[in-house]
Amino acid sequence: MIANTLTVLLILTGLGFFAAGTAGLLRFPDVYSRLHALTKADNVGLGLVILGLMFQAGGLADVLKLLLIWALVLAAGTTAAHMVAQRTWTHGDFESDR
Amino acid sequence: MNLLLVVFDLALLAGLIGVAWRCLASTDLFRAVVLFITFGLLLALAWVRLEAPDIALAEAAIGAGITGALLLVTLERLRVIIAGRRSDRPDTVPPDPSGPGAALQALHDPPPEPRTRLPALTFALVVGSLLVTTLWHQPDAAGLEPVVDAHMDASGVDHPITAVLLNFRAYDTFLELAIVLVALLGAWSLGRHDRIPARPAPGPILPGTLRLLVPVAVVTGVYVLWAGSHQPGGAFQAGAILGAAGILLVLSRPRRMPPPPGTLLRLGLGAGVGLFLASGVYGLLAGHGFLGYPPGWDYPLIILIEVAATLSIALTLVALFIAGRPEGDDRP
Repeated sequence: MIANTLTVLLILTGLGFFAAGTAGLLRFPDVYSRLHALTKADNVGLGLVILGLMFQAGGLADVLKLLLIWALVLAAGTTAAHMVAQRTWTHGDFESDR
Repeated sequence: MNLLLVVFDLALLAGLIGVAWRCLASTDLFRAVVLFITFGLLLALAWVRLEAPDIALAEAAIGAGITGALLLVTLERLRVIIAGRRSDRPDTVPPDPSGPGAALQALHDPPPEPRTRLPALTFALVVGSLLVTTLWHQPDAAGLEPVVDAHMDASGVDHPITAVLLNFRAYDTFLELAIVLVALLGAWSLGRHDRIPARPAPGPILPGTLRLLVPVAVVTGVYVLWAGSHQPGGAFQAGAILGAAGILLVLSRPRRMPPPPGTLLRLGLGAGVGLFLASGVYGLLAGHGFLGYPPGWDYPLIILIEVAATLSIALTLVALFIAGRPEGDDRP
């Protein structure tokens, strides 16, 4: 019961972060602030969702797999954001160069 | 609870149709490719909802991931080709509408206004009503599930999907592998590849991340391949994961990758189909039927074929991404 409540609470909070990040992606004016909104909000949001799911995991192996997924998405997301930012820095705004 | 799931399914369906429509209607090719990748991910979710995690894995890895990467690199090549054409002709002569560059040019122009929608509408109505009629007359049965369940002990593996793919319907899987190989032969027959027009990002971030990610991808690929014998997974999904790792490596250091030795590369590319065919012909000669396994040998043979197929699929996907024969490979 406590585990279920915690799961629902954590995932709802995580979804809130996702919604905020998406709103930032849609509303912010330039690439850098969009990246700022997206990466931070999504990393925390995914972390909360994963934490919530851990309370439903069947054993230690599942918990570790969830942790691994979080770490991989963190690494991949950070790298992708860095590359988008770097390309914008050297080549200018993506849309203006097309 | 069920109501929530229905709402989720309806939202997913609406998203699928909406994304597909935006993808087809978009005149910007880059946007269309991004929407295509989004469509693939949503479709993977739909497969999960249909309780088909194997297809969901394959759709996410191959449909969205690898195909998306192939489309993006094609787009980049097209852009380089078009830019080359334009700089060849500094005086702005309008391109000959029947000339070789016209098709490429047309890719960037908005499509002409349709004169009438009547043919398209009629076609959609006819196909739609045919589909609905077919679905209406579907018998409400469990499909082939009971038949597969009844013969699971004869398959040599524990996972019904793998049993169907590698044993009961091995013919289909064999032809799928052959099609992937033929696609690569088609790409190679077009000639030697140009350098990938990607600009590797400067700085230590990308190589550092790859140093972390590629070993993890290799372990995950082998795990997915191994898992295929008793849970969702298998050669195509594992091959896609390994191929994605290879594509990342190629993308991040396009100049520093040594060309693979040609003979070894060809052996690896053909290993899946070759081994499958050899096993199938042996089965035929030994009296178990084409692509049948000798009794007691089904499990080791399936594992062997899956390993070879994974290797071939991964290599083929990377080779398709590079497109064309490797530089310095002049053999026919």
